[in-house]
Amino acid sequence: MPFGRSFRRLVTPPSRSDREIARDVAEEVAFHLEMRTSELRRLGHPPAEAAARARAEFGDETRARRALAAEDLAAEREHRRGRWWEDLRLDVRFAARQLRRAPAFAVVAVLTLALGIGATTAIMSAVRGILLQPLPLRDPDALVRLYSSSPRTSRTALSVADFTDYARETRSFAGLASFYQTTTNLSGQGDPERLQLARVDANWFDLLGVPPLHGRTFRPGEDAEGAPGVAVLAEGFWHRRFGAEPGIVGRRIILDGEAVEVIGVVSDANAFPAGRDLWTTTRYTAGERTDAQRGARWIQAVARLRPEVSLPRANAELAAVARRLEERDPRHNTGFGTRAVPLQESIVGEFERPLLVLLGAVVLVALIACANVAGLLLARTAARETEVAVRVALGAGRGRIVRQLMTESLLLSLAGAVGAFVLALIGTRLLVHFAPAQIPRLDGVRLDGAMFAFTLLLATVTGLAFGLMPALQTASRELQPRLRDGARGAAGHLRGVRLRRLLVVSELALSIMLLAGAGLLLRSFAALRAVDPGFRPEGLSAFTVVIPETKYATLESQRRFTRDALDRLRAIPGVDAAGASFGLPLTGTRFSLTFTIDRREAASAADEPTGQVRVASTDYFRTMGIPVIRGRVFTAEDTYEAPPRVVVSEALVRRYFPNEDPVGKYIETGWGREGRRLGGTIVGIVGDVKQLGLAADAPPAFYAAADQWPTDEITFIVRAATPHEGLVPAFRELVRELDADVPIFDVRTGAQLVAGILAPPRFYLLLLGGFAAVALALGAVGIYGIIAYTVRQRTREIGVRMALGASSGRIVRMVVGEGLLMAAMGIAIGLLGAFALSGALRDLLFNVGARDGATFAAVSLLLALVAIAACAVPARMAARVSPQRALRGD
Amino acid sequence: MPDAGGDRGNTLGLLQGTLDVLILQTLTLGPMHGYGVSRWIRQRTNAVLLVEDAALYQALHRLERRGFVDAEWGLSENNRRAKYYTLTATGRRQLRAESDSWRAYAAAVFRVLDPA
Repeated sequence: MPFGRSFRRLVTPPSRSDREIARDVAEEVAFHLEMRTSELRRLGHPPAEAAARARAEFGDETRARRALAAEDLAAEREHRRGRWWEDLRLDVRFAARQLRRAPAFAVVAVLTLALGIGATTAIMSAVRGILLQPLPLRDPDALVRLYSSSPRTSRTALSVADFTDYARETRSFAGLASFYQTTTNLSGQGDPERLQLARVDANWFDLLGVPPLHGRTFRPGEDAEGAPGVAVLAEGFWHRRFGAEPGIVGRRIILDGEAVEVIGVVSDANAFPAGRDLWTTTRYTAGERTDAQRGARWIQAVARLRPEVSLPRANAELAAVARRLEERDPRHNTGFGTRAVPLQESIVGEFERPLLVLLGAVVLVALIACANVAGLLLARTAARETEVAVRVALGAGRGRIVRQLMTESLLLSLAGAVGAFVLALIGTRLLVHFAPAQIPRLDGVRLDGAMFAFTLLLATVTGLAFGLMPALQTASRELQPRLRDGARGAAGHLRGVRLRRLLVVSELALSIMLLAGAGLLLRSFAALRAVDPGFRPEGLSAFTVVIPETKYATLESQRRFTRDALDRLRAIPGVDAAGASFGLPLTGTRFSLTFTIDRREAASAADEPTGQVRVASTDYFRTMGIPVIRGRVFTAEDTYEAPPRVVVSEALVRRYFPNEDPVGKYIETGWGREGRRLGGTIVGIVGDVKQLGLAADAPPAFYAAADQWPTDEITFIVRAATPHEGLVPAFRELVRELDADVPIFDVRTGAQLVAGILAPPRFYLLLLGGFAAVALALGAVGIYGIIAYTVRQRTREIGVRMALGASSGRIVRMVVGEGLLMAAMGIAIGLLGAFALSGALRDLLFNVGARDGATFAAVSLLLALVAIAACAVPARMAARVSPQRALRGD
Repeated sequence: MPDAGGDRGNTLGLLQGTLDVLILQTLTLGPMHGYGVSRWIRQRTNAVLLVEDAALYQALHRLERRGFVDAEWGLSENNRRAKYYTLTATGRRQLRAESDSWRAYAAAVFRVLDPA
C-alpha cells in the first residue's frame, strides 16, 4: 500500500458508544466465566459447582463490570480527544504531502485564492478607512455641516449675517462654528511659502473636540474684529517647517505681512478640515457682518447637535429660521434655506457610491476565484477517487473522509490567506499611492489586526465553502464500481463534471457582470475625454501668486505687479503668449456674483442673474485657446481710466440673452472696490469653458479686464514650445525679482489640469477594468480546464467517431461547441445580472446609459471569443486523437 | 502440571503493582485473551498468588488505557469471539523497567533474609 502507517490511521473506524462498551465488557466477562467453568468441569467438578467456583474466583462480577466499563469509557474519551488532535496532525501532514505532490494545482489554487481574497481585503480596507471609520473627533456622529441651498444650488456657502442669525435663533445645536479655507503667504525666515489655511471661529477646536498637542487652542474673543492674530499649527507643518521645535509656541510668524503669534499645535490625525497647515481666527469685519452683505455667501459652518436632538428635527428648525430670514430680507434670502448634513457624509458622501461599487466588484472577483478553486478541487477529487475508495473500503467513516478533504481545502485557503495578506499589503499601498487627490481620508486606509482577522475569516469561510462541495460529493458517491474495475465514466463522474460545468458557467456569468461594468466605465471615460474643455490644454503652463494686500493695497499697485510679471513672462525664450486671470478652468467655482442687466433690478434674489466672475488680461483668451465667438476681447485700450468693459460666455448669453444680441448691453454686480461696481458694457462673446468638471455644463460666466479689475490672487498662464519643467525655474526667478516675499504655487500644466479632473473616473475604471480582466482570465482558465478534462475522458468516444468517418473539423466544432454552450449560458445569466445591477453605476456614468446595449453586446462577444480561444487547445488535442490507439484501449 | 483448580487455602495477597508486571510478562508470550492470562498466571504460580479475576481484568483494561497493551476482538481456539490483548512497544519498555526494579527490590529483601 502506498500510504503506509499514517494512511491506516486515516481510516480509523469511528469510536465506541457507551452501550457498545457495556456490551463488550459483558461479553468479555461471560467468555471468561464460560471458559473457566468448562475447564473446571474437565478437571472433574460437577457442572453446578464448577460454575459457582468460576464465579467465586472471579469476584464481584457486577462491580467488576461497572469498573471495567468506567475504565473503558474514560479511555475512550481520552483517546477521542487525543485522536482528534492526532487526526488533525495527520490530516494536515497528509494534506500537505498531497499538495506537495501536485505543486501546479497547489500553486494555482493558492494564487487564485490569494488574488481574490487579497483584492477584497485591499478594497475593504479602503472602504473601512474612508467610509466606515468614524471621524477622529469627539462624538463625531453629532457633528453636522451646514450648507445653504437655493432653488438653483445646493450645498453652497453661507453669509456671515445668515450664520450669525442661525446661531442665535436655533436651539437644536450645542454649538456652531463658522470657517473658511484659504491660503496665506508665510514669509520671514527662509523661502516664502504658500500655506493652506483655515480661518475658524474661536470655539472651533472645542466644538470638534480636538485637544492641543502643545500650547493651547483659541480662546473666546480671539475671533473678534481687531483682535491680535493668533495661529494654531498642524503637527505635520510644524515638523516640516520648524523641525518640531518645542519653542514654537509663543513665537511670531509673518502671514500675508501680519505678525501672528503661534499659540499651539494640534495633531494631524484629528485635524479638520484635513490638509491644513495652520488655523487662524475668522475676525470678520463689521462690513462683512452687515445685512447688506447677506447675499455674499462665502463662509462654511459646522455644528454639534444637542444629544436629544435628531437630524430631521434640527433641519426642521433650520427651515423655520430660514423662513423668518426670508421675510426679514426678501431681497437676499428669497428661496434660500440651510440644511444640516452629517459631517462624515459631507466629507466622504460623494465617494460612497464608487467605493461600494468597487467593493461589490471585488467580491464578485473573489466569488469567481472561489468557484475556480472549487472546480480545481472537484477535478482533483475525481482523480483521487481510487484513493478515497480504498479508504472507505478499509473502514473510514464518511465524516472522516469529508474531514480529511476539508483539511486539505482549509490548508489551501490558509496558504491563500497568507498570500492574500501580502497582496493586500501591496494592494493597499498601491491604492493609496495611485488614488486621485480628490479622495479624502486616505491616511486612514491601512491594514491592521482587524483587517488581518478579516482576511483570515474570509479565507476560512471560502475554504469551507469551496471545500465542502467536492468533499461531500466524493464521500457520498457509490465507490464500489470504481474499486472493482477502475474504469472511467462512472455515474459519479458525470455528476462531478456537471458540477464543474455549473461552476464554470457561474464564473462566466460573474465575469460578464464585471466586464459589463468595466465596459460602461470605459465608454463613459472615453466620452469624458472627448469632451471639449473649452480651451486647449496642451502646451499650457500655469502658476499662481497672491500678493499681500498689506503691501499691495491699491489697485494700481496690483495692476503694476500683474503687468510687470506678464512683460517678464513674454520675454522668456520659447513663450508664445502669456496671460493673467483669476482662477483656472476645471478647478471649481471660485467666485460667483449676481448682476443686473441694463440696471434693471430683479424682483427677488432667486430671479437675479448669476454668473461666475473671471478676470482676463489682454492676451488671456489667445493664450488659453478660448475661441472668440463674437465682438472683441480686451485690448490695451481697456485701461482703468477707460469705460468698464466685460466679455461674456456663450452659456451666459444662452441663459440671459436668449433672443437678443448682448453686445452693447451693460451688466453690473453689487460688488465693488474704490467706489466702482464690478461690471461693464459687453464687448464680446467667448466660448464656454468647463469649470466644475468635464461632465457638468459650463456655467454662465463673464470676464472683467485685468487692468480694470486687478486682483491680489493672480494666475499666470503661458503657452510655450519649451517643456513645462524648463519654465518653472524662470517663473520662480521672475516672481522673486518682483517681490522676494511672494511664493508661487499651484504650478501645473494644462494637461495636468485635465488629468487631475479625469483622475477619479480613471481610477475607478482602472480598478474595475483590472477586476474584470482577472475575472475573464479566471473564467478562461475554468473553461479550458473543464473542456480539456472532458476531451481526455472522451478520447475513446472521439476515436470511435473518427473511425466512423467524422472529420477532425467536426471534432473541433464539437469541442468548441461545448465550450461555447457554456459561454452562452454564462453570458445569458450574466447579462440578466448586469441588467439588474448596472443601475448602481448610474451616478458614475457620463453620456452612456447604465444598460447600454452596445456595451453589453461588446462584452458578450469578447467573452465568447475568449471562450473559443480557451477551447482551441483542447480542440486541437481532440482532433489529433488517433482512432487506432483510442480504440485499442486505454 | 499441578492442579490449577486446586484449593485456595495457602495463597498470598498481591503487592501493589505486582499484578501489572505479571500480566505484562505473560503477554510477552504473544497475544492472549483475559482468560488465557488468568490461567497462565495461576499455573505459573501454582496458585500460590491469589489473583482475583475481577482485579485481573481491571488491570488489563487499565493497562490498555495507559497504552501498555492493545486490545482487539478476535476468534478464540473454540471459535468464540474473544478480546485479545497484545503487548505494545511501550508496554515492553514498562515491563523492563518494572521487572528491573522488582529484581532490585527482591534482591534487597533476600540480602536481609539470607545474610550469608
